[in-house]
Amino acid sequence: MPMRDPYQVLGVSSSATDEEVKKAYRNLARKYHPDNYHDNPLADLAQERMKEINEAYEAIQSQRKAHTAGSSSGTYSYGGTYSSYTGAAGAYANQRVRAAIMQGDLNLADELLNAQADHNGEWFFLKGVISHRRGWMDEAQRYYETAVQMDPGNTEYQHALDILDGRQSNPYQPDGYRAMTTAGCGSDSFSRICGTILCINCLTGGGICFC
Amino acid sequence: MFGYVRPALDKLDTENRELYQAAYCGLCHTLGKRYGLAARLFLNYDLTFLAMLLGRKCSASKHRCVVHPIRKRPCACQSRALDIAADMSVILVWWQLRDGITDHGFWRGLKFRAASLLLRRAYSRACIYQSDFDRNARQQLERLNKLEQENCASVDRSADCFASLLSGAAAAEEDPIQRRILEQFLYHLGRWIYLADAADDLKKDLRTGSYNPIAMRYSHESGKLTEESRRKLGLTMDASIRQMAAAFELTDFGEYEPVIRSVVYEGLYLVGAAVLNGTFHIRQKRGQGDIP
Repeated sequence: MPMRDPYQVLGVSSSATDEEVKKAYRNLARKYHPDNYHDNPLADLAQERMKEINEAYEAIQSQRKAHTAGSSSGTYSYGGTYSSYTGAAGAYANQRVRAAIMQGDLNLADELLNAQADHNGEWFFLKGVISHRRGWMDEAQRYYETAVQMDPGNTEYQHALDILDGRQSNPYQPDGYRAMTTAGCGSDSFSRICGTILCINCLTGGGICFC
Repeated sequence: MFGYVRPALDKLDTENRELYQAAYCGLCHTLGKRYGLAARLFLNYDLTFLAMLLGRKCSASKHRCVVHPIRKRPCACQSRALDIAADMSVILVWWQLRDGITDHGFWRGLKFRAASLLLRRAYSRACIYQSDFDRNARQQLERLNKLEQENCASVDRSADCFASLLSGAAAAEEDPIQRRILEQFLYHLGRWIYLADAADDLKKDLRTGSYNPIAMRYSHESGKLTEESRRKLGLTMDASIRQMAAAFELTDFGEYEPVIRSVVYEGLYLVGAAVLNGTFHIRQKRGQGDIP
């Protein structure tokens, strides 16, 4: 597949300054950062997007360097990888579980775990990963918490819990938006939604409910 | 689904506010054209949001209508996506009404019965257009009923039914990658709506003894969640909002992008906080008084 125009990928014009290109690149790299797609079923798509962005940035860098030889390159590298469970970490019995998770077969992974008698930190962690991928965030959180309690020094478990609880460092926010949490909203902030500007009539007025 | 999903208006310029309003009016008109006046009565913000997710590209023209008889309003033009959104809206509202009938006794169930009588013809027509969506909705609600009977204490498992029901709407998307993204988005939207609704109904459910997973999972005092419970529930709702944002960044919602962005990066947090603080309905009533 031919590569898209690198400037288009980064969303800047070809006359943008080096600084503007770098800023656009950093912004996109934060947006598709692996931490934002940790144990997310769409992680592969984010990874593809990140690859495209990296290639575009490198292409622009080398194009410009060819013109002005000797300028600083300043490639931006950041930590983290998209969740991968192919590593040799953990007990042998759990490698099949990790492989099943990688293949997206969550039911198999869950069955393999349920058949185990020994429930150690890794067992709780992997149960958490399966819940996380299913979108069962409350169960995932509880499994991760138990894993961290059982094995406090394990950075893999702690990282998963931090991300689930929204404690990642420097999370992406679009321009004009600040990082928010439901618990952190003031009691008066809702008026920004029920403004008088939008004249919409809700004819029913609500009142019927699902549970 | 009762109007929990809203954009943060102060993040939108006039043009985008008009787009949002046009989507609302467009869905209302489409409901009217396809299903008659009765179906239009059930329109709400959440269904409008669904129409926006399904209907990426839109164009608007100005219309008068029953609600706005004098000033013409911008209104999204009829499109296949709006038709589908209208069909799905009718099916969603129908199942919500049926659920209301099974959950309530004879007297309390009367208003649901009356409403479902109004919607019966519309529903049977919508099923012809969206039979897969309807089948999925029926299955998921049967699952939910079973969990309710078992008194399931897992918020994730009960929320999973409604989340899976809503993610069924992604089937309308033809491109497989876009469908995957939309499915993930809708799953967490459904999960968030279910949790917000359950939190909103906590007091009422405790009084009537109805099933409510939040009452079992989180501690509460006289119908109100404790501060620690609110923090924990907020945390799990936020996790779903972040999953929506992650899905949002992978797809192109066309003209509706700014509106949808303001929902997933701000609106849902504000509504969630109002629901958990118990100020959602108070605000809503006051808000309704302001409508000209």
